[in-house]
Amino acid sequence: MRRLVLLAAVGAVALAACGSSSPTSSSTSTTSASSNTSNSVTPNIGNPTAAVTINESGSSLLYPFLQELVTPLHTQYSNITLAPAPGGSGKGISDAIAGTVQLGGSDAYLSPGQLTQNPGLMNVPIVVSAQAVNYNVPGVSNLKLTGDILAKIYSGKIVSWSDPAIAAVNSGTRLPSTKIVPVRRVDSSGDTFIFTSFLSATNTTWQNGPGFGTTVTWPAVPGELTANGNPGMVQTCKATPGCVAYVGVSAESSAQSVGLGEAMLQNKAGGFVQPTADTITAAATAGSANVPDNLAQPLIYEDGAQSYPIVNFEYIVVKSTQSSADLAKAIRTFLSFAIDPSGGSSQSYLSKEDFVALPSTVVPKVKVAIAKITP
Amino acid sequence: MTATAERATVPGPPSGLSARARRRSELTGRDVTVSAVLAVAAFVPAAALVWLTYEMAKQAYPAIVFNGWRFFTTKTFTLGNLYGGTPIVHHGYQAAHGAQYGVLPFLFGTVVSSAIAVVVAVPLSVGGALFLADRVPARLQGALGTFLEVLAGIPSVVFGLWGVFTFGPLMSRTGFKWLAALHIPWLSGSPGAGQGLLTASLVLAVMIIPIIASTTRELFRSVPPLTKEGAVALGLTPSETARHVTIPFVRTGILAATILGLGRALGETIAVLIISGNALNIYPHSIFDPFSTMAAGIAAILDGALTDSTGMALHALGEVGLVLLLVTLLANLGGRFLTRRFSVGGLPVGRGI
Repeated sequence: MRRLVLLAAVGAVALAACGSSSPTSSSTSTTSASSNTSNSVTPNIGNPTAAVTINESGSSLLYPFLQELVTPLHTQYSNITLAPAPGGSGKGISDAIAGTVQLGGSDAYLSPGQLTQNPGLMNVPIVVSAQAVNYNVPGVSNLKLTGDILAKIYSGKIVSWSDPAIAAVNSGTRLPSTKIVPVRRVDSSGDTFIFTSFLSATNTTWQNGPGFGTTVTWPAVPGELTANGNPGMVQTCKATPGCVAYVGVSAESSAQSVGLGEAMLQNKAGGFVQPTADTITAAATAGSANVPDNLAQPLIYEDGAQSYPIVNFEYIVVKSTQSSADLAKAIRTFLSFAIDPSGGSSQSYLSKEDFVALPSTVVPKVKVAIAKITP
Repeated sequence: MTATAERATVPGPPSGLSARARRRSELTGRDVTVSAVLAVAAFVPAAALVWLTYEMAKQAYPAIVFNGWRFFTTKTFTLGNLYGGTPIVHHGYQAAHGAQYGVLPFLFGTVVSSAIAVVVAVPLSVGGALFLADRVPARLQGALGTFLEVLAGIPSVVFGLWGVFTFGPLMSRTGFKWLAALHIPWLSGSPGAGQGLLTASLVLAVMIIPIIASTTRELFRSVPPLTKEGAVALGLTPSETARHVTIPFVRTGILAATILGLGRALGETIAVLIISGNALNIYPHSIFDPFSTMAAGIAAILDGALTDSTGMALHALGEVGLVLLLVTLLANLGGRFLTRRFSVGGLPVGRGI
């Protein structure tokens, strides 16, 4: 008799739990995603029943932000431990595809080929970040550069800081005739992806030549240096007078503390801007008007007088089918926490890395994607 | 009593049994087990080599079919456009749009950097080993010898870091600048910032010196003192003794040690990856220019190749790895062949004096 009551109680609880989670189960949300208008989907989140460790690897631009989130996430949800690691966006994507880690961090969205080859693989943006161009030219500050000039530098066509093309946009600044030493990433890098996207958008020779990608065939430039990860770019540039390097904003504070200058880049409207919260937000808002459902959207060279030209979504690459209910719940919870303005996307965490929160137009689509993560 | 007496008489097998069968019948169970285990142990390296080559060839096969001979005639290695464009199809295999796979600059980089490393390392190692074996007082020999052995054990990545942070920049400001000022063709040009062919070759040389030197030092110590004393008795100076007696005596061994060092230089990955500058699709125009080797190229491109959804990039890297494997095997086998040819002379005492 007592056993029957117990069984009934358990059954009732189970039914109640099932009932509360059914609106967000994967089958319904796929149809509701395409017709999603005002009502947003709320993924089922919470502390999983057993302790779960979520392994992440990938983007060195995203890595400091994820490191920041480990403790508050664990404090709020005691059964979830996030274990991030750097390694480059390409590694993040390939690790996520292979299943070596549960989450891949990437500054680059998935390619059409990758999406076709791996149905169920998603790229979920969690924050908006940007990239700066640093330089080490003693005696010069407030340097202005354009994407066209950078493409020519990285093609070996402009070799000296006193080149007429650079002087033309820096009237009034005395430029030394130091040799330019371009520094590039040797690992498969999302920073390379967004930088080469910017070069492709501003220089047709580059677009038809190396193009863009996490790994591109860089033109051979005598004296060009290579580095590993954003901290490596900062270190190499610091040690080399005359260098120019592309560095993600999360490493900008260290770049400026070692004395590297941050260039002002020309945006599509013709103005010269540096990456600040305002200029990054302007670009993100302009670029988020028509985000596709698969959320693969570049934010490079957007319209707007205030827009910074090298802006990107930071993606978490994840499979929509996970091995266990606890793991799926933990991942949904982490992603929801990351985009929550009172959680991971609060100003205190974002401003430390110079990131900005996702634009409000994108958040509903992101929640739909998060809800697709099920066992 | 009779059984042991029979066993004790060795010459001539007992009637009806061959020597081999008699020997086999004398073996205990333990003998058989130990023999079997040792046979497996001896078989394992050969099996590993065969299996490795087979798996590399299998991984490389799609790329071999796709590339054909262009692999050995093209200068360009590019993964193509992984983000758009229709994949190209060749002989039934797909690759990313615009992808081209050629191994020539990698091959050039591997061979040239290893050659320079060996050319620099061998005189230094042989000279150093000779000095340590013959000229240094006995009480110091132990300590200095230990330094040499310890140097051989330092991980390659440490050499790479030292090269990129200290050695490269220092040399580019001093030694390379003086060398460039001499205006010798191919040895002149901008010294750059320290990441290039000469830096990498010199660091490789530093890595292989301990291997060659410690082996050579042991060889020099094994030269019979009587031979050297005979030379001294005939009136040879120490340097003449070294030139005509000591070194020719161990000539084959020095060659074998050099092959060992060459093998390490050919396959060195992480140190070259850090200090070579990783230049793609170009032959270095001067000895200071950045370059790339097969091993470092594979390591650098691997992560990007894994994102190629057609999979051809990974097969192409497999083909590069297969070429590297074959080059290393050829170097080793060629070295062995040369060693055997050289050793046909017997003792060189009495030659050349």
